[in-house]
Amino acid sequence: MSGILLLGTITCIIGYLFLKGLDTIKLSLIFGETAPLEALLFKKQVFDGLFPAMIGTFSLVVLSVGWAIPVGLATGIYLAEYARHSVKKVFNLFFDILAGIPSIVIGLFGFSLAVFLHKHFSERIYPCLLISSLSLAFLVLPYLIRTTQVALESLPAATRLTALALGATRLQNIFYVLIPKSLSGIISGVILAIGRCAEDTAVIMLTGVVATAGVPKSILSHYEALPFYIYYISSQYSNTQELLSGYGACIILLTICVFLFFLAFVIKRRLTYQALYRV
Amino acid sequence: MDDTIKIKIDHLHFSYQGHWVLRDITTQFAENAITAIVGPSGVGKSTLLMTLNRLWESIPSAKMKGKVEVKFDGRFCDIYDRSFSLPQLRRLVGMVFQVPNPLPMSIYKNIAFPLKLAGYKDKGLIGHRVEQALKRAYLWNEVKDRLTEDALALSGGQQQRLCIARALVLEPEILLLDEPTSSLDAKAGAVIEELLASLKDHCTLLVVSHYLDQVKRIADTVVELSNGRFVPRPFNKQG
Repeated sequence: MSGILLLGTITCIIGYLFLKGLDTIKLSLIFGETAPLEALLFKKQVFDGLFPAMIGTFSLVVLSVGWAIPVGLATGIYLAEYARHSVKKVFNLFFDILAGIPSIVIGLFGFSLAVFLHKHFSERIYPCLLISSLSLAFLVLPYLIRTTQVALESLPAATRLTALALGATRLQNIFYVLIPKSLSGIISGVILAIGRCAEDTAVIMLTGVVATAGVPKSILSHYEALPFYIYYISSQYSNTQELLSGYGACIILLTICVFLFFLAFVIKRRLTYQALYRV
Repeated sequence: MDDTIKIKIDHLHFSYQGHWVLRDITTQFAENAITAIVGPSGVGKSTLLMTLNRLWESIPSAKMKGKVEVKFDGRFCDIYDRSFSLPQLRRLVGMVFQVPNPLPMSIYKNIAFPLKLAGYKDKGLIGHRVEQALKRAYLWNEVKDRLTEDALALSGGQQQRLCIARALVLEPEILLLDEPTSSLDAKAGAVIEELLASLKDHCTLLVVSHYLDQVKRIADTVVELSNGRFVPRPFNKQG
């Protein structure tokens, strides 16, 4: 019953979006007046299209997940395989708290960090892509840590002992057997993190996203992002056409998410295969 | 007397979560022979095997007291000595589990896996050792044309022989087998029994077993565990 309810809701939301937004999905929605090829090659700036916001969201997700994955996986492996019971308890509590922090608070923290760095280190640092991605990495870190830890801990004892009995060191066991075996769980965490990074608005609102910035030139510059564009358009639109372009942006955001999920699945398959079969 | 002894256990105590599994065990196991360890479930037979390759150390809340010495190169060494490398010990003391546990990779790569862990690089040597191990485990003729196939596609009996081959590829001096035939049918079990009998020229074998008739067929010595202690029960194949 609840499954049907869930499916129905999802179908309604996506159906509504497509109904409203499909008409606006044109090349001009993305590239505006600029020729697509020139925009794609970053030769000309796009002023009245979503292209900069797409690039902004995309680089934001890649950067944030890029920061969060090494730290999250390493911490998860440490907690599952190395940490003593008492240490584990403290860390688990700590990460639960971190997972419970509202994203706006993390955004505020990122903003304060940017101000602090601006004052004490370099005038060039202000709320920007770098600060946003670091804040978002903080936001998704608990998910990554927890899924990695749970995936490793739920492996059966027999799997754990197989390679050890064959003379594997602890590290060899982790890398050759335990991680490949728990990879699907770990990747689910990554997918969750990708979704969270792509949709979050509160954090980036305080840490560097703006309504018009063009394609970000470096990780130290302002940028545009799709969720913020949607928020901005829905609260300050001046005519119906603009509101409709917001629906278009929703569809594009969903498409980007689907693309990233798909990428994660492909990586998962390739990684499992390679990790296990390279002898 | 010491000449024929491979393993000496001295006042061994073992507990899981404060619950005693083995109490004050003192015994010796002969070299190049098959010793069977029998007894009801849960009396610590598998635990006793794991004290010989220190595998229990990966199990949380397990504790051990006592001394285990194994003869390597004609000299008894305390395997719990800090200077003894754990991976090295486990290369000398192989183990086969109750349920066949091939890794999800090809047959060849399964057998070559311990060599890879031990840092072997020479492909020719690895190929040679893999072939030898498969031959010693009576598996070569069945798999020589399909070495690149997934090991999980083999039958249960073949998988168990694959695991024995994998344990043999490092040429261990001792092989521990934890009820190696209990998950197999009678025919597959008989092949493994024959295989074990053929291994004792090079290896000291310790087999945990439930089946008394199997024990009578293959074991040179039988010891029985009950309540965490050995039951004195002299039994020899010849006698």
